[in-house]
Amino acid sequence: MSTLTAATKNPAPSPRPDVTPPGRWEFPEPTTSRLDNGLAVAAYDIPGQYVLSVRVVVPLSTRDEPREHEGVASLMSRLLDEGTRTHTTDEFTELLERKGIDFGAGLSESGLTVHGEVSKRNLTDALELIREALAEPSFPEKEVTRLIRTRLAEIEQERASAPHRAMREFAATWFDSAERASRPAAGTPETVRGLTRHEVVAFHQAHVAPNAATVVIAGDLDGLDAHALAADVFGAWSPAPVAQPQLPTPSRPGDDRLRIVLVDRPGSVQSEIVVGCAGPDRRVAPAWAAYPVLSFLIGGSPNARVDAVLREDKGFTYGMRSSFRPRRAGGLFLTTGSVRTEVTAQALGLLLGILDDARDGFSAQETTDSVDFIRNTAPARFATADAVADEAAGLSLDGLPPTFTTANLDAMGELTPEALRAAYDRFVDGQWCVVIVGDASAYADSIRALGRGEVSVVPN
Amino acid sequence: MPLDYPLVEHTLANGLRVVISPDHSVPTVTVNLWVNVGSRHEVAGRTGFAHLFEHLMFQGSRNVASGEHFSLLMAAGGRLNATTWFDRTNYFETVPTGALDLALWLEADRHGHLLDAVNQANLDNQRDVVKEEKRQRYDNVPYGNALRDLYATVFPDDHPYHHPTIGSMADLDAATVDDVHDFFRAHYGPDNTVLTLVGDIEPEDGIARIERYFADLPAIARSPRPNLPQLDPLSEPARHTVISEVPNDRLYLGFRLPTERDPRYLAAALAMEALAGLSMSRMVRRLVRGDQSATSVQGHTMGFVDGVSLGLLAVDVTEGVDPNAVEEVLLEELHRFADEGPSEVELEAALAGAERGWLSDLAAQDQRADAFSHQALLHHDPDYVNRFLDELAAITPEGVTTAAKEWLDPHSRAVVAYLTGQDEVA
Repeated sequence: MSTLTAATKNPAPSPRPDVTPPGRWEFPEPTTSRLDNGLAVAAYDIPGQYVLSVRVVVPLSTRDEPREHEGVASLMSRLLDEGTRTHTTDEFTELLERKGIDFGAGLSESGLTVHGEVSKRNLTDALELIREALAEPSFPEKEVTRLIRTRLAEIEQERASAPHRAMREFAATWFDSAERASRPAAGTPETVRGLTRHEVVAFHQAHVAPNAATVVIAGDLDGLDAHALAADVFGAWSPAPVAQPQLPTPSRPGDDRLRIVLVDRPGSVQSEIVVGCAGPDRRVAPAWAAYPVLSFLIGGSPNARVDAVLREDKGFTYGMRSSFRPRRAGGLFLTTGSVRTEVTAQALGLLLGILDDARDGFSAQETTDSVDFIRNTAPARFATADAVADEAAGLSLDGLPPTFTTANLDAMGELTPEALRAAYDRFVDGQWCVVIVGDASAYADSIRALGRGEVSVVPN
Repeated sequence: MPLDYPLVEHTLANGLRVVISPDHSVPTVTVNLWVNVGSRHEVAGRTGFAHLFEHLMFQGSRNVASGEHFSLLMAAGGRLNATTWFDRTNYFETVPTGALDLALWLEADRHGHLLDAVNQANLDNQRDVVKEEKRQRYDNVPYGNALRDLYATVFPDDHPYHHPTIGSMADLDAATVDDVHDFFRAHYGPDNTVLTLVGDIEPEDGIARIERYFADLPAIARSPRPNLPQLDPLSEPARHTVISEVPNDRLYLGFRLPTERDPRYLAAALAMEALAGLSMSRMVRRLVRGDQSATSVQGHTMGFVDGVSLGLLAVDVTEGVDPNAVEEVLLEELHRFADEGPSEVELEAALAGAERGWLSDLAAQDQRADAFSHQALLHHDPDYVNRFLDELAAITPEGVTTAAKEWLDPHSRAVVAYLTGQDEVA
């Protein structure tokens, strides 16, 4: 019977389709203004994005915290939506949630970011509440006490989480102990326990003001005058003589950082590994462009150099990631991930070998594929209001212009394998700081036998 | 407020259901496939298999070498992945428009001709990778297996949702190449799949391209069982206690709920928001900001299709506080809510949050495509994405109260308690 249909034939395979390269893409350009109180306003119109995204960034540094009060900046940021001079904690929470406003405040190394996600029709309410939170927080005594207790519980939760525990040990090992960066940004039990409302109020007064701040509004702005609206709402925020954040200088690494620290957790079924060395910040000469490309090529996908071996060949890990992580000044090159306990030493040896071998350079194919991935994923990565606002806020906090993103992508297009190699060699010298969180007794000896540095064991 | 994302549906002769939603704001297209197989279809002794199988979909197929699916799409500027869940397995990539044909060709090759490339070596390798995933995400994490314990406590032993998607180590070890062949033949076929395109493509053009690459895939002989009937709430409280090295006592309370497209599900979800999801919710106000006997309270729901969904509360108990006393307060608040129903303000806030959340979910092409695939595969109704906010607005305070009474009754709770064991073990 000749009832063969297309579905049962066995045709010659169709050839793999060619790809038409996309055109050049640019990060959206904001319209900008500045209010009399010094607040900068940047508005990004992104048609079709009906949830608007707002960020207010205030440059400040945890280096400005008194040593005995470390964590006060973070505590201050967490208290911003816990009540204001005009609204109690419950009232403020209700005002936000009745308008469906997703409010958050966080602290990075470069400063404070307050963000709000809100349906277009409720933008004005969101801006009002964000201003209120920043300009007139009341820091109720009761909420201060509560959030200190919450932070203490969080410290215990972070201690129990292998990735958090590993990063804490890495910071303590890598940075000189005199550096703020060597200790947790949100404070330690010793410093957090001593905090009171008084320190929080003082830190807010000394550091949070519109003078050096920027508000970013992104989304579908059709029919809205974002600048007039911002002036209307934020104009009432009084400027104040705030201290300039300390000049951004790289945090000094410790003298004995090049070693291996095993954080001991008897019975752990996996080992969390962090391997790191120095890296650049985004102002590095000749350009930052090489570093996102290197991050992807070495440890950014299942086929990147690290996982091609440790995951796809050996099956030691669900996945490890390498990335150059810029700080406000200076940076780190980190590779992180977990492997099963029994293969820990072998995995570490292989990993260090891959990272060291990369100093011999990169192929033309690797270079092109990695550059194309980063450049050509940009339109989709920056398609939402949230993603644009986030990028714009991050650039503003780092003192970089909004044109940075496009210029950086353009510069990537010019990268050669030689340029990548030079960029890698500039920071990677084959000497590593290594932290492993896991059952140290299972592999301490075999790690010593690798001969990759002095090994010490510390309790979890 | 109906949304108006454009939507064209089409079915190929082999049964592949296609959804296309043009959006030319960005020069990219999301390709999103949902296959009607998840951990709910797994048989005893092979838990975790749907997910292990998903990993093998990246290890090559008839015309594609191992790893090439990732490397070709990424070099073309694509971002891609796949996930497995109780109800389905999804595969997706967002690519520059000029790489759409490549993406469709790669998907058709593995969804049609995977078995040509499956072998013992790549099964063994991905089995190891998945076991590391299990250790990393569940076994080596404080409270990492709490949800597994909650599913097992809330749902009956023989129920499809009784075991988690990640499965067990023993079952992962037992998987064979023959299992892979059987599973592919039973579940992977165009007539068991939805393919959605969202982005820089017109429907006619999109359909023509999908026909080009997918028309040759043979339909499979499916004999799907109908979804199970709705499970009643637990007839009495159930309890599972784990003494473990956790940083603090944590309680999980689980409830059986109606399936996700039952209007009572949304009502129960709003009740959960008003009880514990919002910052202004009753339990957060009383336990976290009030007497501070908890450091955090969370409430949310997971919608499923196979006869039941899940509602859950998670509470971190403050150090030194008796978790039993905290549980008593939770029960009291559940009773009070069932008696009083939500206040006007609670309902207003729950609805406003749900609306903003839904719009945020649809803001990016990839997530929008996932929402269309979900509603098309599991409910034959992708336009629900556009109607969801109207469904939400139609919920009344009485509906929320009734849902809470019926489905969030303290007597029908399952409790999973992770305790430090330092003070309160009886």
